[in-house]
Amino acid sequence: MRSSILIASYLWKDTWKRWFEQPGSPLSRLFVTGLLALVATVILVAFHLLERSIRERLERFGLNTIVVRETVNSDSRDLTVFTDAPDRLAALSDHGQKLRVRQLSVRGTTEWQDGVIVLTYGPESFDHFIEFLSPETPGILFSEELPPDALVRVNVSRHATLAVTRRPQGWLRPLITEDMLLVPQGTWPDEERLGFIETTIFQRNPDAIPVAHLVSAMTTFYAMDRDRRSPPQVQSALPMIRELEKLKERQVQWRNLLAAILGLAVSLVYGSIAVLEFRQNLFVTALLRSFGAPRQFLFWRHLIENALLANLAAISAVALMAALHTAIFGTLGFAKPVLDFSGGNPYASAEVLSILIWVNVGALLSSIPILIGLRTPVGATLN
Amino acid sequence: MSVPLPIRPSPTVVNGGQGTMTCHEVSFRYFRQQPWVIERFSYSFAPGITLIKGASGCGKSTLLRLMAGYLVPAMGAIVTPSGRQPADPEFQRRDLGYVFQQLNLLPLASVTRNLTLAASLAGLPPETTAMRSAKWLRLLGIEEFASRLPQSLSGGQQQRAAISRALVKEPQVLLLDEPTSGLDDLNTRVIIRALQEYVNGARICVISSHDARLESLANEILDFNRFLPVERHLEALV
Repeated sequence: MRSSILIASYLWKDTWKRWFEQPGSPLSRLFVTGLLALVATVILVAFHLLERSIRERLERFGLNTIVVRETVNSDSRDLTVFTDAPDRLAALSDHGQKLRVRQLSVRGTTEWQDGVIVLTYGPESFDHFIEFLSPETPGILFSEELPPDALVRVNVSRHATLAVTRRPQGWLRPLITEDMLLVPQGTWPDEERLGFIETTIFQRNPDAIPVAHLVSAMTTFYAMDRDRRSPPQVQSALPMIRELEKLKERQVQWRNLLAAILGLAVSLVYGSIAVLEFRQNLFVTALLRSFGAPRQFLFWRHLIENALLANLAAISAVALMAALHTAIFGTLGFAKPVLDFSGGNPYASAEVLSILIWVNVGALLSSIPILIGLRTPVGATLN
Repeated sequence: MSVPLPIRPSPTVVNGGQGTMTCHEVSFRYFRQQPWVIERFSYSFAPGITLIKGASGCGKSTLLRLMAGYLVPAMGAIVTPSGRQPADPEFQRRDLGYVFQQLNLLPLASVTRNLTLAASLAGLPPETTAMRSAKWLRLLGIEEFASRLPQSLSGGQQQRAAISRALVKEPQVLLLDEPTSGLDDLNTRVIIRALQEYVNGARICVISSHDARLESLANEILDFNRFLPVERHLEALV
């Protein structure tokens, strides 16, 4: 035990002296590993954030939700004011519930926002919004930004109305990607006559036929209408799930590629430097072996040195990325809620931790030539 | 005292005599295509000092490295007094002291540290190490340089430090490769005195040297020229 401490202490002194005399040796290893780990971290965290944003979209949209959007132009025979357009999904009533709203072609503004989407609802949908209504006004402004339960003046074309602010929730959650004003149908008839998007939010019953079948049925119902100029847009969670699966597939491919690149680069760079330094240091190694110092001990010295540098570089790279996370990924266009660590720290994820495994595998591979070199008899080195 | 050259091949002694280090039919060459450096060499090294002398390149140092387990014989066997193989790290740690021709002190360790490292590998307790270090450093006259790094010592001081590192373990077998080459008479006398003190008739000491000053010290002298007259052509040149 004491001899191990003495040898370790001597070898550390020797290593330190070597690093001090040739700083390029540790610095080049740190730089190469750090750079590669940085690139790997960016790619893996980007995948993580992409996955998270798709999951959030999916969660907001709902697995059993289908949204049908049908454009109704000012010259369309479906353009009816104060009454509902024909319900083409009536045949699916047994399979779920639905809510119909109209998105007007005009947008609203408030003191703080531009481009507020304007929706209207008919009497049949009133029940769905009753909980959000305020006694002061029938207008509801769904907003993530503005504080809830405040009264806000909203201007739409030449009209103005008061609306109570609410957080997006319930049935309208799948629709809300930006702030949205909801008013009863007929509030602004002139604006409604300009055309709108008839929007149906369909919530499938859990025991109903699969979503894919419902989507197919809806498309068929609309196709039966021969006067229709353009098909409606039917949106469900299926493309998002497919997107998620594809993303995961790509994530695995990238992870394997990065593992190969990182492991190979680290093993080649570290291996070459280790062999050169081993040759320079052959005398000390042989001398220690001549005293009977175990070969494994001397191998461990190189392995630990390589692993130490590799881990230091990789951990520093990951820590640097974590520190600059919001700045870097915000610049790359990721939304603020996705960048938040509250939904899970991507730097503590298995993917990013695997970077450490790859660099350690690289460090281990790079030490194999040393293991072979240590088989050279002491007598062939020392005279 | 000069002794008759050993017979080749010698009587078969595989297990080694009690307290002797035995080479049995040992052959060695550095590369397969090259001639043998040592061929079918058999000899039993008894306790006491054996001096191997011979011309450069005759295989003296190679034999020492084979006996230390630093090289592996292509054929034959070497058996240590404890019955272990020379390449056994346990033999190298505890029972073997070796002084290389080129000093070979650890450059970043002081003289004391060099001794402590060798002694700790031999499993000596710190008190014994300290006691023996003081003893051998004193006997070899380098006590006052104990805390110095090898590079700050003269050639003679480094040689004496290397010998004290080998002696601090008080090993069963001590092998010295040209321990006095390039040293003056005074240094050589100090080394001879230390070696006599160490051997004390009970331990095996093998010295490879062509230094005639060491002949008076030897209990046996082994003339290696007989085995491999590889550079006899040099005689023709002079």
